[in-house]
Amino acid sequence: MKHEHYDLVVAGTGFASSFFLSKYLSKAKADAKILVLEKGHLYPMAERLKIKRGEASAYQEYERPWENEIRNINKEKEWPFSTAYGGSSNCWWGCTPRFMPNDFKMKTKYGIADDWPINYNDLEPYYSEAEEIMSVSGPEFTPFPKHTKYPLPAHAFTLVDKILHKKYGNLYISQPGARASRATSHRNACMAFSSCETCPMDAKFTIENSGMGVYNDKRVELSYGAEVLHLETANDVVQKVIFSHGGRKHAIKAEVVALGTNPFFNTNILLRSGDNNALTGKGFGEQLGMQVHIYLDNMTNAGGSTWVNANGYMLYDGEHRKQHAACLIEANNAPFDIRLERGKHLNVASFRCVFEDLPNNKNYITTSADNLVPEVHFKERSSYALDGIENMKKQLPSILSCLPVEKLIFFDPAPHEGHILGGTRMSTSRHNGVVDKHLIHHQYRNLFVLGAGAFTTFGPSNPTLTLSALSLFAADKSF
Amino acid sequence: MERRKFLVLAGVGAGMCLLSPAVYFIAPDTKEFAVKLILKEFYYLKIAPGNVERYVDDFIESNGNDLVSRLKWKTTYYLKLSYHQSDRMRDLFRYFILSTDFFINKTDETKEVHYLGMYSPYLNAVTNPYSFIIYPPETIRDV
Repeated sequence: MKHEHYDLVVAGTGFASSFFLSKYLSKAKADAKILVLEKGHLYPMAERLKIKRGEASAYQEYERPWENEIRNINKEKEWPFSTAYGGSSNCWWGCTPRFMPNDFKMKTKYGIADDWPINYNDLEPYYSEAEEIMSVSGPEFTPFPKHTKYPLPAHAFTLVDKILHKKYGNLYISQPGARASRATSHRNACMAFSSCETCPMDAKFTIENSGMGVYNDKRVELSYGAEVLHLETANDVVQKVIFSHGGRKHAIKAEVVALGTNPFFNTNILLRSGDNNALTGKGFGEQLGMQVHIYLDNMTNAGGSTWVNANGYMLYDGEHRKQHAACLIEANNAPFDIRLERGKHLNVASFRCVFEDLPNNKNYITTSADNLVPEVHFKERSSYALDGIENMKKQLPSILSCLPVEKLIFFDPAPHEGHILGGTRMSTSRHNGVVDKHLIHHQYRNLFVLGAGAFTTFGPSNPTLTLSALSLFAADKSF
Repeated sequence: MERRKFLVLAGVGAGMCLLSPAVYFIAPDTKEFAVKLILKEFYYLKIAPGNVERYVDDFIESNGNDLVSRLKWKTTYYLKLSYHQSDRMRDLFRYFILSTDFFINKTDETKEVHYLGMYSPYLNAVTNPYSFIIYPPETIRDV
């Protein structure tokens, strides 16, 4: 390391860290010293594509399967994530709907779980800023309040989308997504390959292609292969960050520390640092997703221009949330979901129904015998989420009555939605959460714990835009 | 599903027990059954000669020497089962049709169907049959 003392030490280079740094750098002094510790390495998208094409790449040694990074007790529940420069921007699918205003006040509005210590209006300008950075493609009108236009035009509708949009208006919209509908200065246009995990076109937003420039800033020193072990604290202040690098253990003094790894590793670091908040690692989870195929009579569903063409909000917000989970519908443009009957190959719509779930302290993250490997215990879904599925099954035929439906096929719930939420939840006090509304740890006041771990509740919308906006908000309000 | 068919689909061992050993051992290579099944399923398409065979070779290579699949092709053929009763069979058919120019030609059955190489979004130009590349926005009618 260049220095013994840094103004800011950040762990991780994913969305949470990068958006936090982006705002921090805009406010920091010219001689600020910032150290970023990334345990993975730069594994460029171009090299990932070589592997997908069956070609050799020297970078393949940097592949770190998520299964090897955690001790996952419940093998039926999967938690995919990416360990490398850019974190899970390397494997996300680019879905960026905002949360609905009532997602932030579930207790007040519906008597469910807790309210967030912030509301939609607090985040609104930061949503716009994050959308601008990601060059999000989206429609003119949305079910959530929005005071700025999306940077890129909306993706194309299929005939099914057009019919549903006509019936439901702003409750059925082209999905706001960080899969570019037009080429930008840093990305190509999406060509609907529907293999966004490693985009063949480099059309989805990643930290690598973001143009944010945070890691090229002369104030920032980025160290690869650096794994944070724990934090050294005294009098409720983080004094040093202890990490391994190059086979050696290092200790670096820091004025402020920001943990921007995912909730598994943020929790692991906190617990190994002596954090005794009873809720650290508790109540993590994610949404529950299940696929529904809608077989159509004499109607094709072609013409979509991206992976998720549309979002349906018909089962999202409302009084039903007092009894069961909200559901966000994703209209997928899925190549595999074709029919085999003659003349009906494309007569099918594939919907992903995504249900919110509730934080449950029986689901928890803890340490393991290996300092660097968190242990993940996911025991159960809430009846609230499961009841949401039953409600969807009852309501969907009526919702789709404007379409020539032949039959509906409901699949089993999926093993993951690709999200990790909670574990360091945001709250008004340390008695009901781990961090405050600025993502600062209730006990260690020079420690930010960033990312979706801070989510107080787990609404059905994809979390990345919100966690990115939260990072901008936290850095803006704190510096 | 009939019990007999269920047992066949439940596993290789069951399938082999239900098939006469004589029939099993004198039967042609299982690859031929995959070819026959595809030609039978897509009887209404004009598939270029030799293209199904090339596809099956690639399918087998890309899936490894999956003995379970190959035995199921054989049992499926003999028992006149359909893809509704076998995910492996459905995959064999689905990957075939996705690996051809059938969708690029907008499912036009009058055009000869050519195998373009094993389905891969990383190797083929247009792999999404629903894509706006094939069906541009101006061709999707308004409502």
